[in-house]
Amino acid sequence: MTDSATTEVPSAQLPSFADLCEEWHKAAEKAERFNRLITTDAELAPTPKEVVWTLNKAKLYRYIPQVEQEQRKGIPLLMVFAIMNRPHVLDLRKGHSFAEYMVRQGYDLYLLDWGAPGPEDKNLKFDDYVLEYLPRVVRKLKKVSGCQEFSMLGWCLGALISTLYASLRPDDGLKNLILLTAPLDFSDKTAGAFTRWTSNAAFNPDMIVEKLGNVPGEMIDAGAKMLKPVENYMGSYLMLWDNIDNPKAVEAWHAMNTWVRDIIPMAGGAYKQLINEFYKENRLIEGNLLIRGEHVDLSKLTANLLNVIAEADHITPPCQSEGVMDLVGCEDKEVFRVRGGHIGIMAGRGAEKNTWPHIESWLASRSEQ
Amino acid sequence: MTQQNKNNHETFNPFDPAGMLKDVRNAQMEAWAKMMVDLVHTDAYAEATGAMLDTWLSCSGPFKTAMESNLTQTLNGLNLPTRDDITRLAERLTNIEMRLDDMEAQIDECFPRK
Repeated sequence: MTDSATTEVPSAQLPSFADLCEEWHKAAEKAERFNRLITTDAELAPTPKEVVWTLNKAKLYRYIPQVEQEQRKGIPLLMVFAIMNRPHVLDLRKGHSFAEYMVRQGYDLYLLDWGAPGPEDKNLKFDDYVLEYLPRVVRKLKKVSGCQEFSMLGWCLGALISTLYASLRPDDGLKNLILLTAPLDFSDKTAGAFTRWTSNAAFNPDMIVEKLGNVPGEMIDAGAKMLKPVENYMGSYLMLWDNIDNPKAVEAWHAMNTWVRDIIPMAGGAYKQLINEFYKENRLIEGNLLIRGEHVDLSKLTANLLNVIAEADHITPPCQSEGVMDLVGCEDKEVFRVRGGHIGIMAGRGAEKNTWPHIESWLASRSEQ
Repeated sequence: MTQQNKNNHETFNPFDPAGMLKDVRNAQMEAWAKMMVDLVHTDAYAEATGAMLDTWLSCSGPFKTAMESNLTQTLNGLNLPTRDDITRLAERLTNIEMRLDDMEAQIDECFPRK
């Protein structure tokens, strides 16, 4: 090594005091941005819509059409989301919204938002959602759209509600039913952590509801996050930190985190029914489920059926959605498997290239009057 | 300076708070995540969670009941509506709302708008 090398290399490696200050300044800015992102809300649900019906906390929205009348599909589409989350994930952010995508494809699109139950709603059960709320929603949808037939898309517990409705009211005009990650078959008591937890004798949903009324959103949120604790409590934030200089990644993360943070309680009656009659006793598949005294017979479900299953779903494992296909009475039925998780298949990066176009093309060919 | 040293010099950033631990973190994270997922899928975890929840609800129950009872007595004494009163009222309002909705539908059926 020459003398010149020994004198040059250290001076090139050591940063100056100004560089050091600049780096610390950058790190501080990054930390400030990180803190702002995890504590603030992004603007969700950007697609224009209007309220056309309300009942108690529930609201029916109609998205403002964005294409000419002649380009619109003949049959309206109703989206029914789960009862323990906000439905904004269907309309997450501009440029990445299933609702926006479908409206642009010419669908007369409706969204049912169940709202957040209050103490007065603690006795609401699936019976009420299926036979009090949904028929009224359908009645209003028919009136507003002027169409006697309609399609329905249910996601998670919304898919369960949609399935019950489709089986109990097969002559109400439901032409096409799309189920997304539908928890219907709980035969396998080892499939998924939720099934394991709720099947355990130590887990007592009656006591939870008796003591708390509605099940707090925080409890549901913690339960969902504990399915993948490291990813949800740490991985998500580390991912943000790593990608904080990437505006697109930050925008996507912020929107999703806003939706995840916006937790709502679940009506106590529905929770008790979900755990006891579905998770523990698997009554729907066993064929002994009664909804307000009416026997739910899946063979009466005759609408065209698209069953979308997320292969890496840790909330609704694929086996909980698959079993229903042999029991339904419809002739036109299809299972569509998507690589991804419970939310990712509809809100993830690949959704607009994979899931949405498939749903749209399946529905388009069945949406003519 | 060797190519390797040069690369290290270019990628190593001592001023990124997470940078120094990042490689170690990424290697550990996956194994840790898998271990935790396996853990929460065990019957032992399910039983422990159920028991903890049960204990918490059993212990907090009497305090909650006593507090609610005191609050109800106080509100009654002040001639103010209690939470139960408001809840009952809200339930009645929902029932009225349902009837109105049905009536509106019947009117629309009798006098359809052109």
